[in-house]
Amino acid sequence: MHIPDGFVDIPTAAVTGALSLGAVAWAVRKSSKESGDRTIPLLGVTAAFIFAAQMLNFPIAAGTSGHFLGGVLAAALLGPWIGSLAITIVVAVQALAMADGGITALGANVLNMAIIGVWAGYGLLVLLKKALPRNLISYLVALAVGSWFSIALAAAACAAELAVSGTIPLRNALPAMVSVHMVIGLGEALITVAVASAVLAARPDLVRSYDLPRESLARTGAPRTQRRVRFWSFVVSLFVVALALAVFISPFASSAPDGLESVAIKHGAEQMAAETPVWRFSPLPDYQLPGIESETLSTALAGLIGTAALFAVVVLAGRALGRRRTGQQAG
Amino acid sequence: MTVPGSAVGGLNLLHRLDARVKIVGLVGFAVVVVTTPPQAAWAFVLYALTLVFLAALARLSPLAVGKRLLVIVPFVVVVAIFLPFFHPEGRVLVEWGPLRVTDRGALIFWNTAAKAVLSTWGMIILGLTTSFPELVNGLSDLRMPRVFVLTLSFMHRYSRLFLEESQSMRRAMASRNYNPRWLGQVPALGKMLGALFLRSYSRGERVYVAMVSRGYEGTFALNGRRRLRATDLAFAVFILGAAAVIRIVVAAGGF
Repeated sequence: MHIPDGFVDIPTAAVTGALSLGAVAWAVRKSSKESGDRTIPLLGVTAAFIFAAQMLNFPIAAGTSGHFLGGVLAAALLGPWIGSLAITIVVAVQALAMADGGITALGANVLNMAIIGVWAGYGLLVLLKKALPRNLISYLVALAVGSWFSIALAAAACAAELAVSGTIPLRNALPAMVSVHMVIGLGEALITVAVASAVLAARPDLVRSYDLPRESLARTGAPRTQRRVRFWSFVVSLFVVALALAVFISPFASSAPDGLESVAIKHGAEQMAAETPVWRFSPLPDYQLPGIESETLSTALAGLIGTAALFAVVVLAGRALGRRRTGQQAG
Repeated sequence: MTVPGSAVGGLNLLHRLDARVKIVGLVGFAVVVVTTPPQAAWAFVLYALTLVFLAALARLSPLAVGKRLLVIVPFVVVVAIFLPFFHPEGRVLVEWGPLRVTDRGALIFWNTAAKAVLSTWGMIILGLTTSFPELVNGLSDLRMPRVFVLTLSFMHRYSRLFLEESQSMRRAMASRNYNPRWLGQVPALGKMLGALFLRSYSRGERVYVAMVSRGYEGTFALNGRRRLRATDLAFAVFILGAAAVIRIVVAAGGF
């Protein structure tokens, strides 16, 4: 999700940069107030941990490896201020020292991953913790949903920035980015929950967002098979939720700009939009695949083909890389 | 495995330059490239030649640079995939059944791909010729806020350690014939990362206590500012001058 240079135009880069700068400055103040002179060592070590965790590829089905972001995990463990600062540092290092993510796009990348991603996920975690019954399972479910949502929303923000820059129209970018990252987010959710439960088992006092009494952590002594069943039902329910969301949200997302467009036509703004250069602002020109009458259908089809092609690329690349890495380890 | 700070100092001219001029020069170069209108294709060729010259000066292997350039591939591929589906106005260049590529669509593809390659290339040159401590020193000399400078140096100190720790955990698993590759084995990886977090957190606490016992009160003394040498200034003038001249000629209407 690291946008390279050239994909966001200068106005978008300036606005996202200013937003990120403000949010990061605020986070620095809040976290130094919270942790005092511990802030810098804590932040440095957390950033190094996230960095190491991102290097570690984790398995998705079929040998594909995913990119762990870790924002919601850091926020759940150490609070949202430290969490979002640690991700900011990691993203900045990746841009400066490793050329991963553009330097003019740094503001946009920090905004997507460290600010929108961390805060949306953490906010959802807090909300769900209030809404759900107070027990360990609900906490883990809230954490899973929060971290999954953070990835999907960061992808949506990324698509919006690309659309405003005129690189890819929103109705193509949004469904493609969000649907791919809905799947990637499942991996993020699983890893986040797995790490959080491992830390909860050993040092529950280090999970700052977990405020239930210690007794809730006591092992129920369920036999191994039962635990395995519980794990798999957890995975399956995550998949079902994600699929349901993909089915219900994607058509809405892809048809929403059409709705906007019809409003624009009604108000005679069409003329104005047509005169704006394409690379400044994308007015979403009418487009239909010939032979297909429904515009929504052809848009959805375009999104679907794009998503399928992306999936193929991701799975094939993951397979090739995964096999090579396994081979290296064996040899 | 790539770790920030893998560049070694003192190899040749570009490596020995002050980090400040490299940061300002190459970031400035990237900004100028991104603001250049895509119609001026010749300008991008000249930018590329500038970078070729720098890479040759630093004796970077083209393979190493090319490998690092691969990070931009996913985004370029996404734009390429959607190319036939949008920007239908304009002259049709290629038509293939219902799909067609127009000159406007092609222009957007060229715009993003060329700018991404050029500015990423510049940042790769920065990363490959500047060691991480030098980079952090340079940022601190450029008056980056102290919180970030200190956090970055902490991060650099510990990221390699944590990476090695996680690799040794992974090796311990592999030597016991356990190589988690499937979804059902995520809990094992989670426990591993959880252990890594606990170790790193307690290390952070230990370091903090050690620092406090040596009189730490929330501030650090950083290295003093160095004077810029003639070669440093020459580099800054060369790269920013080249970028500025090309950009000004573009603005004035080209050749």
